[in-house]
Amino acid sequence: MLSFIAKRLLSGVLLLVVVTSGTFFLAYLAVGDPTPGLLGNSATPAQQAALRARIGYDQPVLVQFWNWLSNAATGDFGTSWRNFQPVGDQIALRVPVTLSVVVFATVLSAVVGLAVGIACGLRPGGLLDRGLKLASVVLFALPGFWVSLVLVIWFGIELKWFPAIGYVSPEQSVGGWLRSITLPSVSLALGAIVMVAEQLRNGFLQVTNQDFVRTLRARGLSGRRVTAHVLRNASPAALTVLALMFVGLLGGAIVVEIVFNLPGIGSLTQSASQIGDIPVLLGLTAVTVVFVVIVNFLLDLVLGWVNPKVRER
Amino acid sequence: MTRTRTAALVAVAVATATALAGCTGSGGGTGATDTGELKAGVFLDVTSWDPAGADIGFDGPYLSAVYDPLVALDKDGKPVPALATSWEWSADRLTLTANLRTDVTFDDGQKFDAAAAVANLQHLKAGTRSGQAYLNVAGFEAKDADTVEIKMSKRDDSLLYFMGLGRSWMASPAAIQSGALANGPVGSGPYTYDKATSTPQSQYVFTKKQNHWDNATYPFPTVRLFPITDQTASFNAMLSGQLNVQFANAANLPKAKENGWNIAQKPSSWVGVQFADRTGSQAPALGDQRVRQAISYAFDSAGILKAVGNDSGTVTNQLFPSDNSAVYDKSMNDKYKTDMAKAKQLLKDAGYPDGFSVKMPMSPIFQAWQPAANQTFGELGIKVEWQDMAMPDYQKNAPTFPMFLAVIAMSGNDMATLTDQVTTAQWYNPNPSVDAFPDVKALVEQVERAEPGPAQTELLKQLNTKLVDLAWWSVWYQADNTYFSVKGITVTPVTGMMFPTLRFIQRG
Repeated sequence: MLSFIAKRLLSGVLLLVVVTSGTFFLAYLAVGDPTPGLLGNSATPAQQAALRARIGYDQPVLVQFWNWLSNAATGDFGTSWRNFQPVGDQIALRVPVTLSVVVFATVLSAVVGLAVGIACGLRPGGLLDRGLKLASVVLFALPGFWVSLVLVIWFGIELKWFPAIGYVSPEQSVGGWLRSITLPSVSLALGAIVMVAEQLRNGFLQVTNQDFVRTLRARGLSGRRVTAHVLRNASPAALTVLALMFVGLLGGAIVVEIVFNLPGIGSLTQSASQIGDIPVLLGLTAVTVVFVVIVNFLLDLVLGWVNPKVRER
Repeated sequence: MTRTRTAALVAVAVATATALAGCTGSGGGTGATDTGELKAGVFLDVTSWDPAGADIGFDGPYLSAVYDPLVALDKDGKPVPALATSWEWSADRLTLTANLRTDVTFDDGQKFDAAAAVANLQHLKAGTRSGQAYLNVAGFEAKDADTVEIKMSKRDDSLLYFMGLGRSWMASPAAIQSGALANGPVGSGPYTYDKATSTPQSQYVFTKKQNHWDNATYPFPTVRLFPITDQTASFNAMLSGQLNVQFANAANLPKAKENGWNIAQKPSSWVGVQFADRTGSQAPALGDQRVRQAISYAFDSAGILKAVGNDSGTVTNQLFPSDNSAVYDKSMNDKYKTDMAKAKQLLKDAGYPDGFSVKMPMSPIFQAWQPAANQTFGELGIKVEWQDMAMPDYQKNAPTFPMFLAVIAMSGNDMATLTDQVTTAQWYNPNPSVDAFPDVKALVEQVERAEPGPAQTELLKQLNTKLVDLAWWSVWYQADNTYFSVKGITVTPVTGMMFPTLRFIQRG
């Protein structure tokens, strides 16, 4: 198990270096000289040169990359080119917002998806099962921002149960925090719930028909215990989908954060991209990759625990 | 000035794009009437708390909460006293002497006086964004504790206007010296920035000072400013009652009326084609007045305003504001009334019967106007090769093209319009080319020498007529900015400010 963990960690670190390096050079190619955008077009060449020197843009690209990489390794992501605030501080301020929404959406997806998936697996062809099929078609056909808008209009504007925009931190008010993340989380989770439920339902049906389940039943195990065995064998696919959904939800957060005006890493990514704030973009990339690596690592651990054969891969 | 240009480009284009998407809110009549505090949705985040690095366009509400200006503007763009209680020009208009308040203290305890004013003005003159307001200023001097003198290197009749527009916010000299303004404001304004309850880039909270010298102008005990780029989100927040003032999308006007909100509109930007190469050095055809006139005749401005601009604006070929400029001449608006036959004839007369080829830049926010431009240029035989680029690159690269689609903020002061749009090189006017047109040059010189007042206005009118005749630009229309507010709060828009400063948001 230790070598399994070591391999996964090593591949995670390699992924981090490869993705951030790629982002660095792609961003430099795409953005070009950032000084006119940062200073305004009325800045003199001398003022632009001074800013280039201040942010280190006058150095060779490889030197800039090495400086960034060596600092990032110590946790220093540099300062934003827009406001000269530490990138780490800005990301730290915004990660809780995005994580609140994404984690809540993942929990919703897991709990509701699990319940619906099992219920559909136990009664294939039933009303709920047919409803799940219909939902999978409808929800995938609808654009995410449209679903978000419908939720805002119903629950934010008409019923006023939840705020239409904004984020309240749990330090300010736990109730306010839950209310502020509910609509964004639900709009993110709807598609994920259907995917998890479908995976679980299909896996459940596959496993139910296997010989060992018949044997368990023949031995007189209660329905609940049989279901538990089936669930353990049917869950890897659903767990994998759930982990992939978590990563996908991080990306989907950009749209949701814009619709709900949430100050998360999604909206920061958007604004940093618009003005070509490369240090912020690199910091965000690194943080996102770390999340992806951690989630995949945890997934591997869980899958390895559920199915020991996975550890041999 | 660069101040509002990016903001204008972004704001107008996004408003249009959102309108085209047409996907906002329900009906419902749930207009909020909570006016206990001001909760305003601003389109963009504050650019910088340092007045020298701030943009004027959307920074006004943020900076006006925490800073006092030396000079303010009234609703017509006329300079009015603030920290400077009065001022006087010398006979040659090369020295401005201003008297200052003596009862003002900055948040860090520093006293406001002439030395502080000079330190601020020097800082603003050196600023990359603010500096352009002081291009014609030679220096500043504190004559005594409450008198400051501004020495000009060249007469500049728009100086006080630009100072009032957002280029004379006074910050603590100690904070300027130490660079502390990068982390937060240190001013003497009517409100205190509540950093603890604010979330940068999401919500800024300000609480009113009880002993501010201009207390009566600021009626709200608390001000919350929300930068909301997405206009659908902003409108939803207004519908839900989370906002009571909003920088709005004109596409939502019917819903605003349904909700019984106050609606305020004012011309803010001109939309059309900017001829960067009026001398024909890059595209020889554009050096011919008849070709520029042909382009002006060809566009269906009213149709474009209706289809793309939500019919929220004024069809005109001038860029002196249609609502409050003494120079604006309504009778000239029919000069380039859409006439494709005449346009083609002009092209033929100029020696381009089959049109010509030209490259133009394009960025996503201008795509709303691209079909109309394509169709019109196509009918004229002008073959446009569009070069796609991101918005920041548009500002960088557009000046290198012979012409480009433009959404440019206007000034609320006629002399500022002259310097901004005609005589000074800007990204949107890279080659002023006044020298290449002797008639224009002569009129500009007369205007710049004339006594401010009716005489100068009369000369500006002549210049305006001349510029329209030369098709200096192909202006299609002047687009309005729109603001919604709930009953009990009124917004007074000011041309030149994309979002007005807090003194223009009142109870009532």
